[in-house]
Amino acid sequence: MNSFQYVTAHTPDEAVSLIGKNGRYLAGGIDLLGEMKDYIVSPDVVVNVKGMSQPTELGTILLPTGVTNTANCQIGASVTVAEIAAHEDLKKVLPGLIEAASEIGSPQIRNVATLAGNLLQHSRCWYYRQPDIVCLKRGGDMCHAHEGENKYHSLFTGCACLSPVVSNLSVIFAALDVAIKVKRAGKTETLSIAEFYQEAWKNPQTHNSLNPEDFLLTASIPLKRTRSAYRQVSEKSEFDWAMVSCAAAGNVANGKITNVRVALGAVAPVPYMVEAAHHFLEGKSLTDENASKAADLILKDAKPLAHNGYKVPLAHTLIRRTLLALNP
Amino acid sequence: MSSNPSSLPTVNRRTFLKSIGTSAVAVASVQVGAMADEINKAAGPGPQGPDAVPITLSINGEKKDFQLEPRVTLLDALRNHGPLTGAKEVCDRGTCGACTVFIDGKLTYSCMKLAIDAQGHEITTIEGLGKNGQLTAVQQAFVDCDALMCGFCTPGLVMAATALLASNPKPTESEIKRGCSGNLCRCGTYPHVIKAVLKASGATVTETTTVTNYGSVA
Repeated sequence: MNSFQYVTAHTPDEAVSLIGKNGRYLAGGIDLLGEMKDYIVSPDVVVNVKGMSQPTELGTILLPTGVTNTANCQIGASVTVAEIAAHEDLKKVLPGLIEAASEIGSPQIRNVATLAGNLLQHSRCWYYRQPDIVCLKRGGDMCHAHEGENKYHSLFTGCACLSPVVSNLSVIFAALDVAIKVKRAGKTETLSIAEFYQEAWKNPQTHNSLNPEDFLLTASIPLKRTRSAYRQVSEKSEFDWAMVSCAAAGNVANGKITNVRVALGAVAPVPYMVEAAHHFLEGKSLTDENASKAADLILKDAKPLAHNGYKVPLAHTLIRRTLLALNP
Repeated sequence: MSSNPSSLPTVNRRTFLKSIGTSAVAVASVQVGAMADEINKAAGPGPQGPDAVPITLSINGEKKDFQLEPRVTLLDALRNHGPLTGAKEVCDRGTCGACTVFIDGKLTYSCMKLAIDAQGHEITTIEGLGKNGQLTAVQQAFVDCDALMCGFCTPGLVMAATALLASNPKPTESEIKRGCSGNLCRCGTYPHVIKAVLKASGATVTETTTVTNYGSVA
């Protein structure tokens, strides 16, 4: 990797002031160091954001006792994936979140990777990650996946880049309707998961909607959906990216589902959701037949490429499995 | 004056000035050091690099000083500046686990950690596991179960197995696979590794014990 200056920030404001025009924040470093070693990015300054004792919310999981319909669980940006995956009380109220976190990387990665790093990780497309190719995402003039090897690429996209979002947390967060708090241009803004990723849907040179200097603070998870689940299929049973992932959340009473949200991962540059499927499922029995019809609605506009057609039936099966896993 | 001058401490001009000099410097440097610590605590050291900067790492219970650029990884610092060559460099991308160490007791890829970022934390390498030349139970079980072929992945797998048993002293076969999932063995010794971890956990493992379904490990 190229050389750089290293500096530790003690507050989010200080981090924003230190990052400059070509800086990067460093937390777990798994994604960033990988990109720097391959010269995908070469920051002038690396701002260590692990030394922040204030605000304390950055490093904590706040789970209110006596869960009510209006309560939220708040997880700080610096909380590690291992801390989420091992949280016994979270497991009771947000089982889908635990399932999604447990499937991230390996023990070594989960121990250092943070919530913010997982949400903000960059594309895993092999053309994007190849040092000798300047693809569309890196400012080149074409996406090589269209005519090239596109086994792991998107079924849906609003732009010419075919690389999908691969963050497990983005998928379960979309299903749980999480609000992300971000420090941006001196103010604190709250973004939905759709807003957090929408830029990547239309702009091939982005991975999400944040500017490089924007600073992620917390994720706020509504606890009103009492059932949640996450399922993925990968080529390896452990330590692998999902070929397709699916998350669902909702309430189930007397076999009927309400307030349901379903999101797919690794099939689009954003966690992919179809409102029509949610409307269809509202108040219906949670049966394989209904889950299958919802899957048809979600996958209606899929545009398979030369090598990723397998993702359509895989996603169909995963949607059914994940929805049926909501049954208590 | 005493008739026996040898019983007196021999203080001459040179040793007198020398002792005054060093004690004054020592007092001064303690004060400067304390002041620097206070300043660092308040504001941090400011931007460091890109040239080599002083870095202090706590490795296997001993403080060690380095002069390294911020871009040097912990693995590089250990192996090429340590020199502690137990942690191995293979993929250098956080994929194979050969570089695995503990940072504050937690399993970590040292190739994906900057050395400058590991300051202030306790680093344990494979060299720091056994005490007084004795193998740990995990290391002995790897020997007994023939859990290595070329041996290049072994330090990383021993670290992963040690971390697993610390948090889960009686793991099942599938828990062992999951605990060791961040470590690749190119020779494919996985069934013997699983046997070794089972043995280290106190399970009865014999010549004829077979580990099934190991194909799903890697």
